[in-house]
Amino acid sequence: MRAVAFLVLSTLTLAAYAQSGVGVDIDEVVDNRVTYGDLVGNLELRVKLKGTGLDKASAARIVVKEARDDRGNALTPSKLGNDFTPRDYNSGMLQMFVSTPARAASSVTLKGTIELFVPTRDPNAVVKIDKALAKLDAPLSHAKLKSAKLSITPLSPTGYAERMKSRKLDDAKIAELRAEGKKQGVPDKEIEMAIEMAKAFDSMDSAPPDGSVILAGTKSDFDRIFRVEVLGADGKPIDTNSRSTSSRGEDTLMTLQPSNTPPANAALLLYLLTAKSQMSFPFELKVNLP
Amino acid sequence: MNRIFIALALTFASVSAFAIDITVQRVNDRRTSGSFSQLGITLELPKIKSGDVAASRVLVTAAKDETGRDLIDPQAGEPQLETNHQLGNETAARPVTVSVTLKNPDRKALKVSEVRGEIELFMPSKDPNSVAEIAKFQSFSGKVLAHKALKANGVEITLISPAQIAAEKKKLGDAKRKEYEGYGYEGEALEQAVAGHLEYVLRTEPGEVALRIKDPNKRIEEVVFLNAAGELKRGSLREDEGYHFLSTWEGPPQADWKLRVSMRTPKNLVRHAFALKDVPLP
Repeated sequence: MRAVAFLVLSTLTLAAYAQSGVGVDIDEVVDNRVTYGDLVGNLELRVKLKGTGLDKASAARIVVKEARDDRGNALTPSKLGNDFTPRDYNSGMLQMFVSTPARAASSVTLKGTIELFVPTRDPNAVVKIDKALAKLDAPLSHAKLKSAKLSITPLSPTGYAERMKSRKLDDAKIAELRAEGKKQGVPDKEIEMAIEMAKAFDSMDSAPPDGSVILAGTKSDFDRIFRVEVLGADGKPIDTNSRSTSSRGEDTLMTLQPSNTPPANAALLLYLLTAKSQMSFPFELKVNLP
Repeated sequence: MNRIFIALALTFASVSAFAIDITVQRVNDRRTSGSFSQLGITLELPKIKSGDVAASRVLVTAAKDETGRDLIDPQAGEPQLETNHQLGNETAARPVTVSVTLKNPDRKALKVSEVRGEIELFMPSKDPNSVAEIAKFQSFSGKVLAHKALKANGVEITLISPAQIAAEKKKLGDAKRKEYEGYGYEGEALEQAVAGHLEYVLRTEPGEVALRIKDPNKRIEEVVFLNAAGELKRGSLREDEGYHFLSTWEGPPQADWKLRVSMRTPKNLVRHAFALKDVPLP
Protein backbone atom coordinates (compact mmCIF):
# COMPACT_ATOMS: atom_id res chain seq x y z
CA MET A 1 0.00 0.00 0.00
CA ARG A 2 1.33 3.38 -0.87
CA ALA A 3 0.93 5.75 2.01
CA VAL A 4 1.28 9.47 1.59
CA ALA A 5 3.13 11.33 4.26
CA PHE A 6 1.97 14.51 5.84
CA LEU A 7 4.78 16.44 4.39
CA VAL A 8 6.52 19.73 4.58
CA LEU A 9 5.42 21.25 7.82
CA SER A 10 8.02 23.84 8.56
CA THR A 11 8.53 27.14 6.85
CA LEU A 12 12.13 26.14 6.30
CA THR A 13 11.13 23.01 4.44
CA LEU A 14 8.54 24.84 2.44
CA ALA A 15 11.22 27.30 1.38
CA ALA A 16 13.65 24.52 0.47
CA TYR A 17 11.01 22.64 -1.45
CA ALA A 18 9.95 25.75 -3.34
CA GLN A 19 13.53 26.57 -4.32
CA SER A 20 14.66 23.10 -5.24
CA GLY A 21 11.49 21.29 -6.07
CA VAL A 22 12.86 18.34 -4.07
CA GLY A 23 10.71 16.56 -1.54
CA VAL A 24 9.87 13.04 -0.38
CA ASP A 25 6.88 10.73 -0.70
CA ILE A 26 6.54 7.92 1.79
CA ASP A 27 6.36 4.56 0.04
CA GLU A 28 6.26 2.32 3.08
CA VAL A 29 6.47 2.55 6.86
CA VAL A 30 7.77 -0.53 8.68
CA ASP A 31 7.61 -0.54 12.46
CA ASN A 32 9.55 -3.72 13.12
CA ARG A 33 9.09 -4.36 16.84
CA VAL A 34 11.17 -7.15 18.30
CA THR A 35 11.81 -8.69 21.69
CA TYR A 36 14.75 -11.07 21.37
CA GLY A 37 17.69 -10.72 23.72
CA ASP A 38 19.28 -7.36 23.01
CA LEU A 39 17.36 -6.90 19.76
CA VAL A 40 14.58 -4.35 19.83
CA GLY A 41 13.91 -3.70 16.13
CA ASN A 42 13.61 -0.32 14.47
CA LEU A 43 11.35 1.98 12.48
CA GLU A 44 12.13 2.01 8.79
CA LEU A 45 10.80 4.52 6.30
CA ARG A 46 11.09 3.86 2.58
CA VAL A 47 10.77 7.03 0.59
CA LYS A 48 10.96 8.25 -2.97
CA LEU A 49 12.23 11.66 -3.93
CA LYS A 50 9.99 13.94 -5.95
CA GLY A 51 10.51 17.23 -7.67
CA THR A 52 12.48 18.76 -10.48
CA GLY A 53 16.18 18.52 -11.20
CA LEU A 54 16.50 15.02 -9.77
CA ASP A 55 17.58 13.66 -13.15
CA LYS A 56 20.91 15.47 -12.71
CA ALA A 57 21.63 13.66 -9.45
CA SER A 58 23.71 10.47 -9.65
CA ALA A 59 22.94 9.50 -6.08
CA ALA A 60 20.96 10.58 -3.06
CA ARG A 61 20.63 9.90 0.63
CA ILE A 62 18.51 11.01 3.53
CA VAL A 63 20.13 11.98 6.79
CA VAL A 64 17.80 12.03 9.79
CA LYS A 65 18.94 14.54 12.38
CA GLU A 66 16.02 14.42 14.79
CA ALA A 67 13.05 12.13 15.28
CA ARG A 68 10.34 12.06 17.93
CA ASP A 69 7.12 10.11 18.43
CA ASP A 70 3.87 11.81 19.43
CA ARG A 71 4.39 10.61 23.01
CA GLY A 72 7.41 12.88 23.21
CA ASN A 73 10.07 10.16 23.01
CA ALA A 74 13.23 11.05 21.12
CA LEU A 75 14.11 8.34 18.57
CA THR A 76 17.74 7.71 17.73
CA PRO A 77 18.63 7.93 14.03
CA SER A 78 20.60 4.95 12.74
CA LYS A 79 23.58 5.13 10.39
CA LEU A 80 21.93 2.41 8.31
CA GLY A 81 20.96 3.88 4.95
CA ASN A 82 23.28 6.84 5.39
CA ASP A 83 25.40 6.04 2.33
CA PHE A 84 24.65 7.66 -0.99
CA THR A 85 22.46 5.36 -3.09
CA PRO A 86 22.63 5.47 -6.90
CA ARG A 87 19.44 6.97 -8.32
CA ASP A 88 18.99 4.00 -10.65
CA TYR A 89 19.11 1.53 -7.76
CA ASN A 90 15.84 0.05 -6.45
CA SER A 91 13.73 2.49 -8.51
CA GLY A 92 15.24 5.42 -6.64
CA MET A 93 13.95 4.22 -3.26
CA LEU A 94 15.78 5.54 -0.19
CA GLN A 95 15.61 4.25 3.35
CA MET A 96 15.94 5.85 6.74
CA PHE A 97 15.98 4.14 10.11
CA VAL A 98 15.33 5.34 13.64
CA SER A 99 14.88 3.51 16.92
CA THR A 100 11.51 1.98 17.78
CA PRO A 101 8.74 4.42 18.80
CA ALA A 102 6.52 3.77 21.82
CA ARG A 103 3.85 1.14 21.24
CA ALA A 104 1.23 3.68 22.32
CA ALA A 105 2.48 6.26 19.77
CA SER A 106 0.43 6.88 16.67
CA SER A 107 2.77 9.11 14.66
CA VAL A 108 6.40 10.11 14.31
CA THR A 109 7.96 13.39 13.20
CA LEU A 110 11.37 13.40 11.56
CA LYS A 111 13.71 16.25 10.62
CA GLY A 112 16.80 16.01 8.50
CA THR A 113 18.22 16.63 5.07
CA ILE A 114 17.79 15.22 1.60
CA GLU A 115 21.24 15.14 0.05
CA LEU A 116 21.96 14.83 -3.64
CA PHE A 117 25.23 14.01 -5.37
CA VAL A 118 25.36 16.00 -8.61
CA PRO A 119 28.83 15.47 -10.10
CA THR A 120 28.13 17.85 -13.00
CA ARG A 121 28.17 20.72 -10.50
CA ASP A 122 31.89 20.28 -9.89
CA PRO A 123 34.53 19.41 -12.51
CA ASN A 124 36.73 18.13 -9.68
CA ALA A 125 34.14 15.50 -8.72
CA VAL A 126 34.97 13.25 -11.68
CA VAL A 127 38.53 12.02 -12.03
CA LYS A 128 39.67 9.88 -14.95
CA ILE A 129 43.02 8.23 -14.45
CA ASP A 130 44.46 6.77 -17.65
CA LYS A 131 46.49 3.54 -17.47
CA ALA A 132 45.63 3.40 -13.79
CA LEU A 133 46.48 -0.30 -13.49
CA ALA A 134 49.82 -0.06 -15.33
CA LYS A 135 51.77 0.77 -12.19
CA LEU A 136 50.56 -1.32 -9.25
CA ASP A 137 51.46 -0.91 -5.58
CA ALA A 138 52.07 2.82 -6.05
CA PRO A 139 49.54 5.57 -5.29
CA LEU A 140 47.50 6.82 -8.25
CA SER A 141 48.77 10.10 -9.52
CA HIS A 142 46.40 12.86 -10.63
CA ALA A 143 46.18 16.58 -9.93
CA LYS A 144 42.51 16.31 -8.85
CA LEU A 145 43.33 13.53 -6.37
CA LYS A 146 46.20 15.61 -5.02
CA SER A 147 43.96 18.64 -4.70
CA ALA A 148 41.33 16.52 -2.89
CA LYS A 149 44.10 15.09 -0.66
CA LEU A 150 43.10 11.54 -1.60
CA SER A 151 45.59 8.70 -1.75
CA ILE A 152 44.45 5.49 -3.44
CA THR A 153 46.76 2.63 -4.38
CA PRO A 154 45.90 -0.17 -6.84
CA LEU A 155 47.37 -3.42 -5.55
CA SER A 156 49.11 -6.32 -7.29
CA PRO A 157 48.32 -9.86 -6.07
CA THR A 158 51.57 -9.73 -4.07
CA GLY A 159 50.70 -6.33 -2.65
CA TYR A 160 47.26 -7.62 -1.73
CA ALA A 161 48.69 -10.71 0.01
CA GLU A 162 51.10 -8.54 2.02
CA ARG A 163 48.27 -6.17 2.97
CA MET A 164 46.08 -9.07 4.10
CA LYS A 165 48.93 -10.53 6.15
CA SER A 166 49.44 -7.23 7.94
CA ARG A 167 45.69 -7.02 8.65
CA LYS A 168 45.47 -10.52 10.14
CA LEU A 169 44.03 -10.47 13.65
CA ASP A 170 46.56 -11.33 16.32
CA ASP A 171 46.52 -11.04 20.10
CA ALA A 172 47.87 -7.48 20.00
CA LYS A 173 45.18 -6.35 17.52
CA ILE A 174 42.45 -8.03 19.54
CA ALA A 175 43.70 -6.26 22.68
CA GLU A 176 43.67 -3.01 20.71
CA LEU A 177 40.07 -3.62 19.59
CA ARG A 178 39.03 -4.41 23.16
CA ALA A 179 40.70 -1.28 24.51
CA GLU A 180 39.06 0.89 21.83
CA GLY A 181 35.65 -0.60 22.65
CA LYS A 182 36.13 0.09 26.36
CA LYS A 183 37.26 3.63 25.59
CA GLN A 184 34.04 4.18 23.65
CA GLY A 185 31.97 2.78 26.52
CA VAL A 186 30.76 -0.28 24.59
CA PRO A 187 29.45 -3.00 26.95
CA ASP A 188 31.84 -5.95 27.39
CA LYS A 189 29.35 -8.41 25.87
CA GLU A 190 29.10 -6.34 22.69
CA ILE A 191 32.87 -5.95 22.49
CA GLU A 192 33.34 -9.72 22.66
CA MET A 193 30.63 -10.24 20.03
CA ALA A 194 32.37 -7.74 17.73
CA ILE A 195 35.70 -9.51 18.24
CA GLU A 196 34.13 -12.89 17.44
CA MET A 197 32.62 -11.39 14.29
CA ALA A 198 35.99 -9.90 13.29
CA LYS A 199 37.58 -13.33 13.78
CA ALA A 200 34.90 -14.92 11.62
CA PHE A 201 35.47 -12.40 8.85
CA ASP A 202 39.20 -12.91 9.21
CA SER A 203 38.83 -16.62 8.54
CA MET A 204 36.70 -15.90 5.46
CA ASP A 205 39.36 -13.75 3.78
CA SER A 206 40.49 -15.37 0.57
CA ALA A 207 42.31 -14.18 -2.50
CA PRO A 208 39.97 -12.36 -4.92
CA PRO A 209 39.41 -13.94 -8.34
CA ASP A 210 41.74 -13.18 -11.27
CA GLY A 211 40.87 -9.94 -12.99
CA SER A 212 39.77 -8.22 -9.78
CA VAL A 213 40.78 -4.62 -9.23
CA ILE A 214 41.89 -3.96 -5.66
CA LEU A 215 42.36 -0.48 -4.32
CA ALA A 216 43.87 0.36 -0.96
CA GLY A 217 43.51 3.53 1.07
CA THR A 218 42.16 4.91 4.29
CA LYS A 219 38.53 4.64 5.36
CA SER A 220 38.15 8.40 5.47
CA ASP A 221 39.42 8.63 1.87
CA PHE A 222 37.06 5.92 0.62
CA ASP A 223 34.19 7.62 2.47
CA ARG A 224 34.72 10.54 0.09
CA ILE A 225 34.47 8.37 -3.02
CA PHE A 226 30.98 7.63 -4.31
CA ARG A 227 31.96 5.15 -6.97
CA VAL A 228 34.89 3.74 -8.95
CA GLU A 229 34.41 2.50 -12.51
CA VAL A 230 36.93 0.46 -14.50
CA LEU A 231 36.99 1.62 -18.12
CA GLY A 232 37.59 -0.84 -20.93
CA ALA A 233 39.58 -0.32 -24.12
CA ASP A 234 36.54 1.43 -25.63
CA GLY A 235 36.55 3.96 -22.79
CA LYS A 236 33.24 2.66 -21.42
CA PRO A 237 32.73 1.25 -17.90
CA ILE A 238 33.12 -2.53 -17.74
CA ASP A 239 30.14 -4.19 -16.03
CA THR A 240 31.10 -4.93 -12.47
CA ASN A 241 29.73 -8.13 -10.94
CA SER A 242 30.52 -7.22 -7.39
CA ARG A 243 31.90 -4.33 -5.37
CA SER A 244 32.95 -4.61 -1.77
CA THR A 245 34.87 -2.57 0.76
CA SER A 246 36.41 -3.93 3.92
CA SER A 247 37.97 -1.86 6.67
CA ARG A 248 40.17 -2.75 9.59
CA GLY A 249 40.40 0.48 11.53
CA GLU A 250 41.38 3.10 8.95
CA ASP A 251 43.00 0.56 6.65
CA THR A 252 40.54 -0.07 3.81
CA LEU A 253 40.47 -2.27 0.73
CA MET A 254 37.99 -1.90 -2.12
CA THR A 255 37.56 -4.93 -4.37
CA LEU A 256 35.91 -4.64 -7.78
CA GLN A 257 35.20 -7.73 -9.86
CA PRO A 258 34.61 -6.65 -13.46
CA SER A 259 32.77 -9.11 -15.72
CA ASN A 260 35.79 -9.08 -18.08
CA THR A 261 39.44 -8.88 -17.13
CA PRO A 262 40.39 -5.21 -17.57
CA PRO A 263 42.97 -4.49 -20.29
CA ALA A 264 46.48 -3.56 -19.16
CA ASN A 265 45.84 0.06 -20.17
CA ALA A 266 42.49 0.27 -18.35
CA ALA A 267 41.54 3.65 -16.94
CA LEU A 268 39.74 4.24 -13.66
CA LEU A 269 36.94 6.75 -13.27
CA LEU A 270 36.47 8.02 -9.73
CA TYR A 271 33.42 9.96 -8.58
CA LEU A 272 34.37 12.11 -5.59
CA LEU A 273 31.89 13.43 -3.06
CA THR A 274 33.20 16.99 -3.10
CA ALA A 275 31.44 19.81 -1.25
CA LYS A 276 30.43 21.51 -4.51
CA SER A 277 28.94 18.33 -5.98
CA GLN A 278 26.53 17.86 -3.09
CA MET A 279 23.22 19.62 -2.54
CA SER A 280 21.35 19.53 0.73
CA PHE A 281 17.69 20.30 1.43
CA PRO A 282 16.10 20.25 4.85
CA PHE A 283 12.91 18.30 5.35
CA GLU A 284 10.37 17.69 8.07
CA LEU A 285 8.05 14.76 7.85
CA LYS A 286 5.19 13.42 9.91
CA VAL A 287 4.10 9.84 9.38
CA ASN A 288 1.27 7.82 10.84
CA LEU A 289 2.41 4.56 12.38
CA PRO A 290 0.88 1.31 11.09
CA MET B 1 13.41 -13.10 28.23
CA ASN B 2 10.13 -14.16 29.72
CA ARG B 3 9.65 -17.76 30.59
CA ILE B 4 6.04 -18.69 30.28
CA PHE B 5 4.55 -21.96 31.36
CA ILE B 6 2.61 -23.77 28.74
CA ALA B 7 -0.01 -26.35 29.43
CA LEU B 8 0.76 -29.26 27.21
CA ALA B 9 -1.74 -31.94 26.46
CA LEU B 10 -1.73 -34.91 24.23
CA THR B 11 -3.72 -35.09 21.10
CA PHE B 12 -2.49 -38.33 19.64
CA ALA B 13 -2.48 -41.61 21.47
CA SER B 14 0.97 -42.32 20.02
CA VAL B 15 2.55 -39.42 21.88
CA SER B 16 4.31 -39.96 25.17
CA ALA B 17 2.62 -38.35 28.12
CA PHE B 18 5.28 -35.99 29.43
CA ALA B 19 4.63 -32.31 29.99
CA ILE B 20 7.01 -29.72 28.58
CA ASP B 21 7.89 -26.15 29.41
CA ILE B 22 7.90 -23.75 26.53
CA THR B 23 9.85 -20.53 26.49
CA VAL B 24 8.83 -17.57 24.38
CA GLN B 25 12.15 -16.89 22.70
CA ARG B 26 11.25 -14.09 20.32
CA VAL B 27 8.28 -11.84 19.59
CA ASN B 28 8.27 -9.87 16.36
CA ASP B 29 5.35 -7.55 15.72
CA ARG B 30 6.13 -6.42 12.18
CA ARG B 31 3.76 -3.59 11.43
CA THR B 32 3.87 -2.09 7.98
CA SER B 33 1.86 0.04 5.62
CA GLY B 34 3.02 -2.37 2.88
CA SER B 35 3.32 -6.13 2.65
CA PHE B 36 4.19 -8.86 5.15
CA SER B 37 2.53 -7.38 8.22
CA GLN B 38 2.40 -10.07 10.88
CA LEU B 39 3.06 -11.09 14.45
CA GLY B 40 5.64 -13.83 14.76
CA ILE B 41 6.24 -15.68 18.02
CA THR B 42 9.14 -18.10 18.27
CA LEU B 43 8.79 -20.75 20.96
CA GLU B 44 11.61 -22.82 22.38
CA LEU B 45 10.93 -26.36 23.62
CA PRO B 46 13.81 -26.85 26.10
CA LYS B 47 13.33 -30.59 26.47
CA ILE B 48 13.39 -31.44 22.77
CA LYS B 49 16.70 -31.26 20.94
CA SER B 50 16.79 -29.46 17.64
CA GLY B 51 18.67 -32.43 16.18
CA ASP B 52 15.64 -34.67 16.74
CA VAL B 53 13.23 -32.46 14.80
CA ALA B 54 13.45 -32.35 11.02
CA ALA B 55 10.48 -30.02 10.54
CA SER B 56 7.68 -28.41 12.50
CA ARG B 57 4.52 -26.37 12.25
CA VAL B 58 2.12 -24.72 14.64
CA LEU B 59 -1.61 -25.03 14.09
CA VAL B 60 -3.39 -22.26 15.97
CA THR B 61 -7.00 -22.71 17.02
CA ALA B 62 -7.45 -19.49 19.04
CA ALA B 63 -5.48 -16.27 19.45
CA LYS B 64 -6.46 -12.83 20.67
CA ASP B 65 -4.84 -9.73 22.08
CA GLU B 66 -5.91 -7.95 25.25
CA THR B 67 -8.32 -5.70 23.32
CA GLY B 68 -10.12 -8.82 22.16
CA ARG B 69 -8.85 -8.63 18.56
CA ASP B 70 -8.80 -12.02 16.88
CA LEU B 71 -5.26 -12.68 15.66
CA ILE B 72 -6.03 -15.61 13.39
CA ASP B 73 -5.89 -14.70 9.72
CA PRO B 74 -8.92 -16.33 8.10
CA GLN B 75 -7.28 -15.92 4.68
CA ALA B 76 -4.17 -17.87 5.65
CA GLY B 77 -4.12 -21.53 4.62
CA GLU B 78 -3.03 -24.35 6.87
CA PRO B 79 0.69 -23.91 7.60
CA GLN B 80 3.08 -26.39 5.99
CA LEU B 81 5.85 -28.15 7.88
CA GLU B 82 8.89 -25.88 7.99
CA THR B 83 12.23 -27.61 7.51
CA ASN B 84 14.60 -27.27 10.47
CA HIS B 85 17.66 -25.79 8.83
CA GLN B 86 19.67 -26.15 12.06
CA LEU B 87 19.58 -29.91 11.58
CA GLY B 88 23.00 -31.36 10.83
CA ASN B 89 25.08 -28.49 12.19
CA GLU B 90 26.64 -27.72 15.55
CA THR B 91 23.44 -26.26 17.00
CA ALA B 92 21.58 -29.58 16.73
CA ALA B 93 22.05 -30.18 20.48
CA ARG B 94 20.22 -26.96 21.32
CA PRO B 95 16.50 -26.97 22.09
CA VAL B 96 14.22 -26.90 19.07
CA THR B 97 12.29 -23.75 18.22
CA VAL B 98 8.96 -23.48 16.42
CA SER B 99 7.26 -20.43 14.93
CA VAL B 100 3.71 -19.16 15.23
CA THR B 101 2.47 -16.63 12.68
CA LEU B 102 -0.52 -14.42 13.53
CA LYS B 103 -2.12 -11.16 12.48
CA ASN B 104 -0.84 -7.93 14.03
CA PRO B 105 -2.38 -7.11 17.40
CA ASP B 106 -3.94 -3.71 18.03
CA ARG B 107 -1.33 -1.00 18.51
CA LYS B 108 -2.93 -0.22 21.86
CA ALA B 109 -2.59 -3.80 23.08
CA LEU B 110 0.33 -4.43 25.43
CA LYS B 111 0.06 -8.20 25.43
CA VAL B 112 -1.35 -11.18 23.62
CA SER B 113 -3.94 -12.60 26.01
CA GLU B 114 -3.90 -16.12 24.66
CA VAL B 115 -2.74 -18.38 21.90
CA ARG B 116 -3.93 -21.97 21.75
CA GLY B 117 -3.34 -24.76 19.31
CA GLU B 118 -1.06 -27.65 18.49
CA ILE B 119 2.64 -27.94 17.78
CA GLU B 120 3.43 -30.63 15.25
CA LEU B 121 6.97 -32.00 15.18
CA PHE B 122 8.38 -34.24 12.49
CA MET B 123 10.81 -36.45 14.42
CA PRO B 124 12.37 -39.07 12.13
CA SER B 125 14.16 -40.81 15.02
CA LYS B 126 10.77 -42.03 16.30
CA ASP B 127 10.39 -44.47 13.40
CA PRO B 128 13.11 -46.62 11.73
CA ASN B 129 11.19 -46.26 8.48
CA SER B 130 11.37 -42.46 8.48
CA VAL B 131 14.36 -42.10 6.21
CA ALA B 132 15.64 -43.93 3.15
CA GLU B 133 19.23 -43.23 2.16
CA ILE B 134 20.25 -44.69 -1.16
CA ALA B 135 24.01 -44.85 -1.67
CA LYS B 136 25.41 -44.26 -5.16
CA PHE B 137 21.86 -43.72 -6.35
CA GLN B 138 22.98 -42.68 -9.81
CA SER B 139 23.87 -46.29 -10.55
CA PHE B 140 20.09 -47.00 -10.46
CA SER B 141 19.48 -45.03 -13.65
CA GLY B 142 16.31 -46.32 -15.28
CA LYS B 143 15.43 -48.46 -12.26
CA VAL B 144 13.27 -48.34 -9.17
CA LEU B 145 15.21 -47.37 -6.03
CA ALA B 146 15.14 -50.24 -3.56
CA HIS B 147 14.89 -49.48 0.17
CA LYS B 148 12.83 -51.03 2.96
CA ALA B 149 11.69 -47.63 4.30
CA LEU B 150 10.33 -46.66 0.88
CA LYS B 151 8.51 -49.96 0.69
CA ALA B 152 7.12 -49.63 4.23
CA ASN B 153 5.63 -46.27 3.33
CA GLY B 154 4.24 -47.39 -0.02
CA VAL B 155 6.61 -45.04 -1.85
CA GLU B 156 8.08 -45.95 -5.22
CA ILE B 157 10.82 -43.80 -6.75
CA THR B 158 12.30 -44.49 -10.17
CA LEU B 159 15.47 -42.80 -11.33
CA ILE B 160 14.65 -41.80 -14.88
CA SER B 161 17.39 -42.10 -17.52
CA PRO B 162 17.87 -39.53 -20.31
CA ALA B 163 16.63 -42.19 -22.79
CA GLN B 164 13.41 -42.63 -20.78
CA ILE B 165 12.88 -38.86 -20.73
CA ALA B 166 13.41 -38.74 -24.51
CA ALA B 167 10.92 -41.62 -24.99
CA GLU B 168 8.36 -39.91 -22.75
CA LYS B 169 8.84 -36.67 -24.63
CA LYS B 170 8.21 -38.49 -27.91
CA LYS B 171 5.04 -40.00 -26.48
CA LEU B 172 3.83 -36.57 -25.37
CA GLY B 173 4.71 -35.17 -28.81
CA ASP B 174 2.70 -37.88 -30.53
CA ALA B 175 -0.31 -37.20 -28.33
CA LYS B 176 -0.01 -33.47 -28.99
CA ARG B 177 0.31 -34.10 -32.73
CA LYS B 178 -2.98 -36.00 -32.68
CA GLU B 179 -4.60 -33.21 -30.72
CA TYR B 180 -3.39 -30.53 -33.15
CA GLU B 181 -4.44 -32.64 -36.15
CA GLY B 182 -7.92 -32.58 -34.65
CA TYR B 183 -7.74 -28.79 -34.77
CA GLY B 184 -6.91 -28.94 -38.50
CA TYR B 185 -3.13 -28.44 -38.33
CA GLU B 186 -1.05 -30.21 -40.96
CA GLY B 187 2.36 -30.29 -42.62
CA GLU B 188 5.00 -27.81 -41.47
CA ALA B 189 2.56 -25.84 -39.33
CA LEU B 190 1.70 -29.02 -37.40
CA GLU B 191 5.35 -29.92 -36.81
CA GLN B 192 6.14 -26.37 -35.72
CA ALA B 193 3.24 -26.40 -33.25
CA VAL B 194 4.36 -29.75 -31.79
CA ALA B 195 8.00 -28.63 -31.61
CA GLY B 196 6.91 -25.40 -29.91
CA HIS B 197 4.99 -27.38 -27.31
CA LEU B 198 7.84 -29.81 -26.66
CA GLU B 199 10.37 -27.03 -26.26
CA TYR B 200 9.14 -26.37 -22.73
CA VAL B 201 8.08 -29.90 -21.77
CA LEU B 202 10.34 -32.20 -19.75
CA ARG B 203 13.25 -29.89 -20.36
CA THR B 204 16.11 -31.10 -18.21
CA GLU B 205 18.58 -28.55 -16.93
CA PRO B 206 22.25 -29.55 -16.51
CA GLY B 207 22.79 -31.22 -13.14
CA GLU B 208 19.14 -32.16 -12.62
CA VAL B 209 18.19 -35.67 -11.58
CA ALA B 210 14.88 -36.89 -13.03
CA LEU B 211 12.62 -39.01 -10.80
CA ARG B 212 9.19 -40.58 -11.09
CA ILE B 213 7.65 -40.57 -7.65
CA LYS B 214 4.63 -42.59 -6.59
CA ASP B 215 3.50 -41.59 -3.11
CA PRO B 216 -0.16 -42.55 -2.71
CA ASN B 217 -0.13 -41.97 1.07
CA LYS B 218 1.52 -38.50 0.80
CA ARG B 219 4.37 -39.61 3.03
CA ILE B 220 7.31 -37.79 1.45
CA GLU B 221 8.47 -34.74 3.38
CA GLU B 222 11.76 -34.05 1.65
CA VAL B 223 14.11 -35.43 -1.00
CA VAL B 224 17.71 -34.21 -0.78
CA PHE B 225 21.25 -35.17 -1.69
CA LEU B 226 23.97 -36.10 0.81
CA ASN B 227 27.58 -35.71 -0.25
CA ALA B 228 30.34 -38.22 0.57
CA ALA B 229 30.97 -36.44 3.90
CA GLY B 230 27.29 -36.82 4.82
CA GLU B 231 26.53 -33.12 4.39
CA LEU B 232 23.03 -32.19 3.28
CA LYS B 233 22.82 -30.66 -0.18
CA ARG B 234 19.40 -29.08 -0.39
CA GLY B 235 18.16 -27.55 -3.59
CA SER B 236 14.92 -27.59 -5.48
CA LEU B 237 12.46 -30.27 -6.55
CA ARG B 238 10.25 -29.22 -9.45
CA GLU B 239 7.48 -31.17 -11.11
CA ASP B 240 6.75 -31.39 -14.84
CA GLU B 241 4.32 -33.75 -16.58
CA GLY B 242 4.29 -36.12 -13.60
CA TYR B 243 8.08 -36.26 -13.29
CA HIS B 244 10.18 -34.62 -10.59
CA PHE B 245 13.51 -32.92 -11.22
CA LEU B 246 15.90 -32.59 -8.29
CA SER B 247 18.87 -30.25 -8.35
CA THR B 248 21.16 -28.43 -5.97
CA TRP B 249 22.78 -25.02 -6.27
CA GLU B 250 26.17 -26.69 -6.00
CA GLY B 251 26.16 -28.32 -9.41
CA PRO B 252 25.56 -31.90 -10.53
CA PRO B 253 25.55 -34.59 -7.83
CA GLN B 254 28.77 -36.58 -7.66
CA ALA B 255 28.95 -40.36 -8.17
CA ASP B 256 29.47 -40.98 -4.43
CA TRP B 257 26.50 -38.87 -3.30
CA LYS B 258 23.45 -40.40 -1.64
CA LEU B 259 19.78 -39.65 -2.18
CA ARG B 260 17.88 -39.15 1.07
CA VAL B 261 14.10 -39.39 1.26
CA SER B 262 12.44 -38.31 4.51
CA MET B 263 8.91 -39.56 5.12
CA ARG B 264 6.13 -38.65 7.56
CA THR B 265 4.64 -41.64 9.32
CA PRO B 266 2.08 -42.03 12.11
CA LYS B 267 4.96 -42.75 14.49
CA ASN B 268 7.21 -39.80 13.66
CA LEU B 269 4.64 -36.98 13.54
CA VAL B 270 4.20 -35.82 17.12
CA ARG B 271 1.54 -33.32 18.12
CA HIS B 272 1.32 -31.39 21.40
CA ALA B 273 -1.51 -29.09 22.37
CA PHE B 274 -0.31 -25.82 23.85
CA ALA B 275 -1.66 -22.62 25.33
CA LEU B 276 0.16 -19.33 25.81
CA LYS B 277 -1.08 -16.68 28.23
CA ASP B 278 -0.29 -12.97 28.48
CA VAL B 279 2.68 -12.67 26.14
CA PRO B 280 4.08 -9.13 26.43
CA LEU B 281 4.24 -7.27 23.12
CA PRO B 282 7.30 -5.29 22.04
